[in-house]
Amino acid sequence: MSPSRTRLVRYYALLPVLGAYLVLFLIGNGQPDMWQLVAMLAFYCALGQAFNLFLGMTGYVDFGYVAFAGVGTYGMAISISHLSAVEGIGGWAIVIGLLLGTTMATLLSLAVGAVALRLRGAYFAIATIGVNEGLRYFVEGARIWNGSDGIIFSRDLRLIFGREAATALSTFWADVLVLLIAALAGVVTLLFMRSKIGYALTALRADEDAAKVMGVNVTKYKIMAFITSAVFAGLLGATAWALKLTYVYPPDVFEIHYTVEAIVIVMLGGVGTLLGPLVGGLVYGLSKYWLAVTLPGFQLLIFAPLLLVIVVLFPEGLVGVLKKKIGNRPLGKFIV
Amino acid sequence: MVEPLLRAENLTKRFGGLVAVKDVSFTIAEGDLFAVVGPNGAGKTTLFNLINGVLLPDEGRIFFNGKDITRLPVYRRAPLGIGRTFQIPRPFGVASVRENVAIGALFGRAAEKVSVVEALAIADEYIDRVGLQAHGDKPSIALTPVERKLMEIARALAMKPRLLLLDEAMAGMNPKDIDELVNFLKRIKDEGVAIIALVEHIMRAVAGLAERVMVMHQGSVLTDTTTEAALTHPKVVEVYLGKAPG
Repeated sequence: MSPSRTRLVRYYALLPVLGAYLVLFLIGNGQPDMWQLVAMLAFYCALGQAFNLFLGMTGYVDFGYVAFAGVGTYGMAISISHLSAVEGIGGWAIVIGLLLGTTMATLLSLAVGAVALRLRGAYFAIATIGVNEGLRYFVEGARIWNGSDGIIFSRDLRLIFGREAATALSTFWADVLVLLIAALAGVVTLLFMRSKIGYALTALRADEDAAKVMGVNVTKYKIMAFITSAVFAGLLGATAWALKLTYVYPPDVFEIHYTVEAIVIVMLGGVGTLLGPLVGGLVYGLSKYWLAVTLPGFQLLIFAPLLLVIVVLFPEGLVGVLKKKIGNRPLGKFIV
Repeated sequence: MVEPLLRAENLTKRFGGLVAVKDVSFTIAEGDLFAVVGPNGAGKTTLFNLINGVLLPDEGRIFFNGKDITRLPVYRRAPLGIGRTFQIPRPFGVASVRENVAIGALFGRAAEKVSVVEALAIADEYIDRVGLQAHGDKPSIALTPVERKLMEIARALAMKPRLLLLDEAMAGMNPKDIDELVNFLKRIKDEGVAIIALVEHIMRAVAGLAERVMVMHQGSVLTDTTTEAALTHPKVVEVYLGKAPG
């Protein structure tokens, strides 16, 4: 029998992913002036890894994806700004914030999924575009969560942790959490691939009607992937945006630009692969950083045609191409 | 009276003004080998879509193993034991042949009890049986049309069906392949699986395979009888060859 590509994916396939995140951490930790770059790369990898759980696994493009990160950000902001004055809660406010953020993302994904996941392909994409913008104007217009004034909670953080720890939290620990989220999303991706869920998603991504005939409850599995992906977006918002910036404004978090970046990262790296979001996140993050230095303002002008080239020439992304090239060699078993 | 495996009662399906299936009734017992024959447009595939729920009938009812499944969602019919192949094969894209067949095992009749590892083992068993052992690791889209048909049969059998619906499984095959497949399907039947095969015009397959034939024409049943009687039935001859002159 020929190689491992059709076997059940092994756990050691996680090694390159987890190893890469560890190396990122060590580089940033050893070189303090590199930390900002590492934090940005971690954010893009985590964003890709989280979005891949839905876009990559199901083939559905959710243009409203960033809304889940947006409500996650609000979850953390609400928790900290309301609990900072409560005696005895202290650092638990962050745990509660993470829980609240993921709960809000879950509820939103259930609401959106229940309606939009009945649609297919382009119809789904169009239906979700409105979610993000709609939510932003709803928050501003209905003046919930402080409306367009946003929530600024840097003072609350200092109240809970003291000045120094609060600074360490937003300049260091928030980014470490983002790296952990990226790693965790990678682990969940592998667990999906190894389980019935992964096989159901493979089937429905290729041919939804045929999958139903084979007994796959496609709605159930689509919603599972959708919620899982949304939870990770919520966590990402609660850490990379809320804890790091210590404020939240509706137009900052409900910004479709991030969804587009997530799509580019997943497509560039390789849709539905484990390594894809990592590779895509690193390549996208580094080239964005490099372009910002060398050709400031031209990033989008370069990324837009780049995305076109990827979709047309390498629809399977960098990792997909790599898999084809060396999938049969011993190293290939790490390319998943 | 023993409840038949499948009982269709007065099935009718309309598409606008076109009546694709008109008042069709029949029964299938456990382990039957049943062919549905008819020229292009006779309503055979529509009938299949009604049985496995891709389409819902406008009138009539369908019972599987005594249970009314007329309006049961598609995905809940596979676990009851209804497996199917498609006229134009629908492999799951880049997934390998092995994974394709494993998907059948994972969500079919034994779905609750089958782990992914077991499903892959079941896949190997059926890939072997349909003679695709050399192709297990290939992406399913790399298969030839005939190999795709065989893969779909393996995928449907991995579902451990009680009833197997074969939509033009022999189309495009050479006589030797057809004879091999016919023999294979007879063995499957002997294992207790009922088979309904849709056949447009490969009479070699019908004559070799089925004990009973239902001939359809423009949505209606022309005759439902033994294979021998059906193939010499004057109306059937007329549908296929036209009226004898004079």
